[in-house]
Amino acid sequence: MRVLVCLKQILDPDVPARDFQIDPDARAARRGGANLVTNIFCENAVETALQFREAAGGDVKITALCYGESSAEDCLRKAMAMTVDEACLVERDGNTNPDAAAVGRVLAAAIRRLEQDGGAFDAVLVGRESGDWGVGQTGGVLAEELGRPALGFVESLQPGNGSVTLRRQTDVGIEVAEAEPPFLVTITNNEDNVPRIPKTRDVMMSYRKPLQKLSLADLELDSEEIRAGSSIFEVEEIFIPADEVECELAEGDTLEERVDQLATRIHEVVASIG
Amino acid sequence: MFRVGGTVPVMDPTQATREVFWNIEYTWLVYVLMVPTLAVFGWGFWLKIRRWRSGQPALRFDRPGERLQLFLRNAVGQGRTIKRRYAGLFHTLVYTGFIVLFLATTVVAIHHDTPLHIMKGHFYLIFQSLIVDIFGLFVLVGVALAAIRRWISKPKLLVYTDEASWILVTIFVMALTGFMIEGWRIAVTDDPWAAWSPIGNLFALGSDPWMTDTAMQRGHVIIWWFHLVVAFGWIAWVPFSKMSHVFTAPLNIFTANLDGYGGSLKTIDFETAERFGINHLGDFTWKDLLDFDACTECGRCTDVCPANTVGKSLSPRDIILDLQGLMHKRGDEFLGSRAGNGNGDGGNGSGELLPIIDQKTAVSPEALFACTTCAACMEACPVHIEQMPKIVDARRYLVMEEADFPEGMMDMMNSLESRQHPFAGTQFSRVDWTEGLDIDVMAEMDDPHEAEVLMWVGCGGALVERNRNTVRATAKLLKKAGVKFAILGREESCTGDPARRVGNEFLFEMLAKGNVETMERYGVRKVVTSCPHCFNSFRNEYPHFGGSYEVYHHTQFLDQLLESGRLDGNGAGGRSNGSSTITFHDPCYLGRHNGEYDAPRNLLAQVGGARQVEMERSRNTSFCCGGGGGMAFVDEPPDQRVNQERAQEAVDTGADVVAVGCPFCATMLDDGVNARRGDRDVQVRDVAELLWDAVGDSEEAAP
Repeated sequence: MRVLVCLKQILDPDVPARDFQIDPDARAARRGGANLVTNIFCENAVETALQFREAAGGDVKITALCYGESSAEDCLRKAMAMTVDEACLVERDGNTNPDAAAVGRVLAAAIRRLEQDGGAFDAVLVGRESGDWGVGQTGGVLAEELGRPALGFVESLQPGNGSVTLRRQTDVGIEVAEAEPPFLVTITNNEDNVPRIPKTRDVMMSYRKPLQKLSLADLELDSEEIRAGSSIFEVEEIFIPADEVECELAEGDTLEERVDQLATRIHEVVASIG
Repeated sequence: MFRVGGTVPVMDPTQATREVFWNIEYTWLVYVLMVPTLAVFGWGFWLKIRRWRSGQPALRFDRPGERLQLFLRNAVGQGRTIKRRYAGLFHTLVYTGFIVLFLATTVVAIHHDTPLHIMKGHFYLIFQSLIVDIFGLFVLVGVALAAIRRWISKPKLLVYTDEASWILVTIFVMALTGFMIEGWRIAVTDDPWAAWSPIGNLFALGSDPWMTDTAMQRGHVIIWWFHLVVAFGWIAWVPFSKMSHVFTAPLNIFTANLDGYGGSLKTIDFETAERFGINHLGDFTWKDLLDFDACTECGRCTDVCPANTVGKSLSPRDIILDLQGLMHKRGDEFLGSRAGNGNGDGGNGSGELLPIIDQKTAVSPEALFACTTCAACMEACPVHIEQMPKIVDARRYLVMEEADFPEGMMDMMNSLESRQHPFAGTQFSRVDWTEGLDIDVMAEMDDPHEAEVLMWVGCGGALVERNRNTVRATAKLLKKAGVKFAILGREESCTGDPARRVGNEFLFEMLAKGNVETMERYGVRKVVTSCPHCFNSFRNEYPHFGGSYEVYHHTQFLDQLLESGRLDGNGAGGRSNGSSTITFHDPCYLGRHNGEYDAPRNLLAQVGGARQVEMERSRNTSFCCGGGGGMAFVDEPPDQRVNQERAQEAVDTGADVVAVGCPFCATMLDDGVNARRGDRDVQVRDVAELLWDAVGDSEEAAP
């Protein structure tokens, strides 16, 4: 069985508030002093895949795929340290903030390319959303591009008899589904798919595992359109909301007067916000 | 007068002596019995030595001069043993008694078996009779005191084994029978020098009224042989019991780590290591294996262990004893398990490798991960056993080979890996604290070499709100003294201390190499830091990674500035901050690990109007705040918090200020003091903050 996990490298969401800056012209966050990390839901996806392989008894090959800058190699190395078998980086050029449509198309092209070389992927795992933009569309777009059935908010995969049992989170509870490969799932977090810390030996070994690099030219894609960032939506403006605190004291001689005053002001303020 | 044998009373003291083997026939049997005795004794120690030699190499016979000094102080001089009064007293009695009695036996042997008839005259009377009698009594009294402790008062720190009881019984029997045979010889021979053997004489006088000479003479023969058999049997038993410490302890002290606890962790060669960390006895060094055999079960390590004190399962004594037990049980099976762990030259790796972790509760992951690496155990050990590095060795195995460790440590390591600091979720950057202080950052300086010293801020100083005041105070004091200093700012990374203590040597090495590279780029030679953990890494660990610096803890540097007059102090006449009593909590990594106790106290003397009081456990016996060894990142069970135990001790001194010199101690004790201070106003302040209050520019005095 072949499993593919898609990864995204993002700006550390834990960056201290004061260090978080945005570039209004580029309409994106500035890197500044912040670190780059693997998106947490993508790491949950890696962990879910690893647990699936363990439950299946080993006959599962896991590939990690990323569309990003060369720095994203770190994410793939880390995935391989977590014992993912192989990795592929599609190097991004042009637009640094491609939208989900562009990313989905690049990933789909890359997957087709990888499938040509090594056989079809039975399951494709994508994080449910990224910690930077949080659009949450990549999984859907990718499923559409690949023409595969997809389920969202999956938290675990269990091997069954020729099928895979999926557990997914819904608003009303956990839904269990049987899926025939090939399929795509977006992975959410639960207490069981907390990404593991790699063993040191695996960290060292990760540098000896194959890491394939592809460029957009290697994929049969209209790369001009991809470079432009595609567009299912456009960011018009980006800003950090300013917190304004105004303090006002309810006045009055007696407690009742002050309570009256307070209630009146609350009404006024609520009315003014509309 | 009825007399047996050839003793002739001659009242000339220069001729005083006694007959060796009086009343004893078949004396050749003594020599015959000695052969198997010494053979078993030798075989026993040979087994031990063979076992030790199967360990990995360690350099522990270098610097003979220093080793001899340590040997004289703590082996011969019992320097550490006597630190506990009761145990120190009885051990000294038995120990000195044994030495004197051994010398006496040697004198007898020389006198009898060589042409040198030395056992006569004043030497016979004063040493061989009087002094030997007194020290024989010491043994009896010492053993009695030990027995009272073991059988009546029963302190928690002891291990109650039959072996230990038998040791007391047999020593007591040997000493007692010695006096019996001496007494009966005196009585029967009517020894004219009886008065010089007061205890033997007491037995003589006690026996005389109710025993006939014949009975005494017959009793003498029986007890004499009984004494000999017990003594020989005992000697043969020594290598197989904890009495072997008579030899292993001095050897262990001679081969002790001379570099201080702060430099006691091994480095790993990741290129060649077959395994990371230790989960097999054969991966320990010979010195580690010797440690196991040197243990006397005194329990002081566990008694002072902070984790054990608050009720956690960690017991350094039991770790050593459990490993000793496994080592003894395994014999050749164990010898076959030799293999390389990167500390040495590798090995043949033959035989099945028997794991040590989880074989016994003392070496369970839970116990191992309770260690704060405070080194109180090592400081307390009378025979210099190195418990803490072994705990870290085992943690390394769990962390690097098994990826098995507490959750808090996992978050910390994740953060270290992706952000180079352990405080995930901090709201601060590394330079936020400098706001308004105009501090040079090396990367922004035209010539970074202009900086006389690098102020290493540390993650705990820059990223934890509570400690930013400490680094601000330190920086302001440096400025006031006119010190040209700079910081690395965003280029600073964690030194790797928490990773190393937890057992992630790989991560530590990466961080260390990165920092060494950065500092190399700016030609840093001198470092001052307010974090004792960073201080220890720079001082003791970075030299292994190519980074050698002149390193100061901020209290040391400020103390020097005061002393040299660069920083204008006012003697004890600094401003008062309103506190009347200050108690200083020694950080483990400044005090015990690196031997600095006075600098922070000197600085506190500057605080006007306040007197210093000491906690019961201070200086080298200081009690950890609970934050070392990565424990600052672990949630402790509410009823097992080391910081509260320590805070209580601080609060109990009556002090209104608990002074600290470490960002981890500051946060740990802040929490602890708030939980334990009751209605009292007790503050936790760094020494630098207090010093700034006292001698800083008044309008800027810290709040």
